[in-house]
Amino acid sequence: MAHMRTSIPLLLGGVAVLVALPLLLSAGLLNASVQMLIAALFASAYSLLSGRAGMLSFGHAAYFGVGAFATVHAMNALNGTGLLPTPLLPLAGAGAGLAFGVVAGWFATQRTGTAFAMITLAIAELLHALAPQLRGWFGGESGISTMRMPAWGLNFGSTTQVYYLTLAWVLAALALLYFHTLTPPGRLTLALRENEHRLRFLGYDVHGLGVSAFAISGLFSGLAGALQVVSNESANYVVFDAGVSASVVLNSYIGGVTAFLGPALGAALMTFFGYAVSDATQAWLLYQGVIFVLVMMFMPDGLVGLLAVIGRLVRTLGIRAAPLMAGWLLAGLLLVAGGVFLVELVQRLCSQDYRAMARVGEAWPAVRLLGREWLPAAAGTWATVLLPLAAGGGLLAMVHGAQRRWLTEGAK
Amino acid sequence: MDALVFALLNGVIYGLLLFMVSAGLTLIFGMMGVLNFAHASFYMLGAYFAYALQGLVGFAPAVVLATVLAGAVGAGVERFFLRRVHRHGHAHELLLTFGLSFIVAETIKLLFGNQPVDYRIPPALDVAAFVVGSQQYPAYRLLMGGVALAMFAVLYLLLTRTRVGIIVRSAIYKPRMVEALGHNVQLVFMGVFAVGAALAGLAGAIAGAFYTTSPNMALEIGVMVFVVVVVGGLGSLGGAMLASLLIGVMTSFAVGVDRSLADLFAVVGARDWAEGVGGLLTLKLSSLAATLPFALMLLVLLVRPSGLMGSKN
Amino acid sequence: MTASILRIAGLRKSFGDTEIIRGVEFDLAPGERRALIGPNGAGKSTLFHLISGNLAPTAGDIEFDGQPIGGRTPQRINRAGLARSFQITNIFPKLTVFENIRLAVMRKHRLQYSVWRRIAWVPWLREATEQLLERVRLQQRAQTLAGEMSYSEQRSLELAMTLASNPKLILLDEPMAGMSSEETEYTMHLIREVTAGRALLIVEHDMDVVFQLADRISVLVYGQVIATGTPEEIRRHQGVREAYLGEEVAA
Repeated sequence: MAHMRTSIPLLLGGVAVLVALPLLLSAGLLNASVQMLIAALFASAYSLLSGRAGMLSFGHAAYFGVGAFATVHAMNALNGTGLLPTPLLPLAGAGAGLAFGVVAGWFATQRTGTAFAMITLAIAELLHALAPQLRGWFGGESGISTMRMPAWGLNFGSTTQVYYLTLAWVLAALALLYFHTLTPPGRLTLALRENEHRLRFLGYDVHGLGVSAFAISGLFSGLAGALQVVSNESANYVVFDAGVSASVVLNSYIGGVTAFLGPALGAALMTFFGYAVSDATQAWLLYQGVIFVLVMMFMPDGLVGLLAVIGRLVRTLGIRAAPLMAGWLLAGLLLVAGGVFLVELVQRLCSQDYRAMARVGEAWPAVRLLGREWLPAAAGTWATVLLPLAAGGGLLAMVHGAQRRWLTEGAK
Repeated sequence: MDALVFALLNGVIYGLLLFMVSAGLTLIFGMMGVLNFAHASFYMLGAYFAYALQGLVGFAPAVVLATVLAGAVGAGVERFFLRRVHRHGHAHELLLTFGLSFIVAETIKLLFGNQPVDYRIPPALDVAAFVVGSQQYPAYRLLMGGVALAMFAVLYLLLTRTRVGIIVRSAIYKPRMVEALGHNVQLVFMGVFAVGAALAGLAGAIAGAFYTTSPNMALEIGVMVFVVVVVGGLGSLGGAMLASLLIGVMTSFAVGVDRSLADLFAVVGARDWAEGVGGLLTLKLSSLAATLPFALMLLVLLVRPSGLMGSKN
Repeated sequence: MTASILRIAGLRKSFGDTEIIRGVEFDLAPGERRALIGPNGAGKSTLFHLISGNLAPTAGDIEFDGQPIGGRTPQRINRAGLARSFQITNIFPKLTVFENIRLAVMRKHRLQYSVWRRIAWVPWLREATEQLLERVRLQQRAQTLAGEMSYSEQRSLELAMTLASNPKLILLDEPMAGMSSEETEYTMHLIREVTAGRALLIVEHDMDVVFQLADRISVLVYGQVIATGTPEEIRRHQGVREAYLGEEVAA
């Protein structure tokens, strides 16, 4: 936590940038930014439970979704009556997330570890299976739509206004979540992860503590869901999809759960990449999964951990860290290039359209990629796959070896 | 009456299928203490391998090959992925297997598309076994049940009667001791993992031809398998069998029941009120069939948190 | 005759067919220091688990401070005023020493759901934690991560956490295990200091410690208490010598 205190100027700078964004970005990018903020909040809420309390949840979409639907109903029911003006609507989602979090948490925290994880998954799947049946609450296949009503002198019609509303809520929520880490229950969640057994013998009601952490996580997840509905003006039962639960897990751990803003960073980054590349490739989810597995295997503390490692490298090796980092970067780029090319090639070769074409003629026709034609039978095509992979792999091994040598020399 | 027999048979067979997949998971969990999230992915891989190979080598060889391939993938996962993160703790292993299951699903979507594929029973097996009342009962369903029972018998005998089985069971309880006695525990772990994966693959190869084979099948059965393991009690093979059959039969019966809670309220003359309330009360049991196992799981958690046959650990 | 702080009658515990505790009778006076000794496998740890709520008795009664506690949860037993330490150090390794003790001290103040208070600003909490830190002489290590301390420092922390709830009865399970003679000496004085005025039940194998620390000694053999008495009485007790040294002593 010490490093948070010294980075106050950095934090303020970041907030300033966020506030200035609508002046810098197009409407499309601004919309993406709204989604990034929401994802960042969701990931922070998630990692309160999974990262800090050590209770891995694989069904967190449930609380996000419950918040979303509560908000869409509130929006439709209180349609500008002034009982809950538009800027305060996310409270409905937060409340629903809290309530459902208490109920679900009460069941789920009866077990720990892997059993707990399975229960959270089952609860989300239960909602996902039930939702399309309960048309009144969840709107069936097409979902429920609504409209933002004017309030407080603003009409909330433009993306900019929605952005500022979302930003205000997300910043407030993150501040509250951070404050939580400084409170007694916040410290106790850490203890839950460290040694739940001892907490019992110290007289604590461990089940109650678990429910409390679960409920707060649910509250802020519901809030995130509410913000999404305010932004999209609709809610659909696909929000309970396992993919939504999966992506918050991936985002949080890629960012790194050991630092408070790690999950938020990971979520923002992944959401941005998803937005940026989802037009160019069909395999974006696969890449995300690969990134996640690579992180879990080689960088368990995520991106934040990576930044810490780089910091240590620079401190230990000084100027010599530069060629190492350049080497890692180059090796990484080569491997990514080769890997992505391979995946994209395979994806096109296996697609429906291509298969239809390939059956007609004798030789397999060319695949269109990166603006050029590539023949599957041509050596050049596979060279473009294998060369970067081989070069990248070789460079990686070299840099890894060099780093290890230099660190053992440099260690005083 | 026929409907009852049908539902019962279908339920038992689906339950046996569930058991085939959850048996491997229970063994692996008992041994390694971590739930392999990717276990249901082996089920899916088995189905897709069999589908891909069916055209080349015929149905039966394809099923056998698919089983072996799934086992090989399992061995690879244990050797190259799980072993590496073992020291980071259970949570880490769980997350890693979660990531792997994600990758498997996405890769299959990449290679075979998002839609279900046309993996079907060969015409030779698509016959009726016997006739119940006016309906024919497919022989293939009996085949599925038969394979599951045979597998259970083989597993049981292997574990209790052979030397390998004793080593495996000991390694589950006291791995370090077994290692001290000179056995290669790492090999045992990898072997059990591979066998568990192969069993799931076999289940997938056989069931995929009958049910749909789609990139979603891992999630669908995966969640069911987790419910089985929670209900039956983590680590208990007997509990897994009991829970699988219970869930199979329960779901199967529910699908045939076109009644709802409103009908129940009709008994006390409150049908109109119930239908006015709508929502949950007018949902037919048949639509809710898929959600019943979750309800069972929540009930078990309330009444008997360690599962039907689990230990209080 | 003051009421016992801990009274055990007819206590039995079986695991399946194996009976580990075979009828234990036990009386501990408030403020008394009792050592529990016995050969390996006698059931000392099991007895501790039964008293502290880790295990439930198969039969018999355990009464603490007039209330029955047999089969109750560890939380409830601790809240009644009974605290235990563990043979294998049971702390929060990635939290600081200060935080470890603070968490232990905090429970009595019922702050577990106070989401609106900043923990650093709860005044008496800081003082209480620092006092306890000083009593176990770990002030220098307040900001060290608990898992990074030496073994005997961790044991001191373990002791502090056990004391934090101001218990009437403390159970110490082999607190000197694995210590050098210097560390043992140090820890023994520490224990004597911090447990003044409280009842203490300590399992220990080091006989010097036992004879110096304990007012009375109980000997547990095969799940039964075969003798209770002052150190002198126990030293001369025939049954005890047989149990430890075998039949040859009798001859």
